Amino acid sequence: MSSKPERIDRETAIIIGLGVVWILLYFGVRFYLEANPGLDRGVRLGLAFVPTPIFALFLWRFVKGVRSADELERRIQLEALAVAFPLGLLLLTTLGLVQRAVELNFQDWSYNHVFPYFMLFYIVGVALARKRYT
Amino acid sequence: MRNRLKVLRAERDWSQADLAERLGVSRQTINAIETGKYDPSLPLAFSLARLFEQSLESVFTPDPPADAAPSP
Repeated sequence: MSSKPERIDRETAIIIGLGVVWILLYFGVRFYLEANPGLDRGVRLGLAFVPTPIFALFLWRFVKGVRSADELERRIQLEALAVAFPLGLLLLTTLGLVQRAVELNFQDWSYNHVFPYFMLFYIVGVALARKRYT
Repeated sequence: MRNRLKVLRAERDWSQADLAERLGVSRQTINAIETGKYDPSLPLAFSLARLFEQSLESVFTPDPPADAAPSP
């Protein structure tokens, strides 16, 4: 194996690891905030930003990983994002219109419920692009 | 775009993985080029031609235009 694919594999593992840490932190903070509604407002706001630095690290490594990937992988990632971004936009704009039309249930359609769809759109985009090229 | 990668690779008894390693790309990239699912960038196409000691035109040939008249 050349050094480049090995580096990409290691890079992928780091990206996935950071993503897992971010998800764990997100749910940890979320459950802690839900379990402790009496906390000071400043503390609650501070806790809400705890996952952000890990996500920033994840984003940095993700972009770095895409840049160091070979050209087909870069194409796959580009097409995946070309699917995921418009779908995310469609979801948010449609929800906005639906919210104008009827009263949405906050328990079903808060930010906490919408963000997993963005991950789903990205996964669908990657799957479609991989199917096209492999 | 059509290419002779598979033939050139077979002449040298290289696997897709061997070729990928020599070019610093993934095996999936070589497979996608060979099967015509992906057209390589110009730098990669030149690297392939150089590796096989061929001209670019002898490795890659454009598809005939869709409205081309059939040969007699």
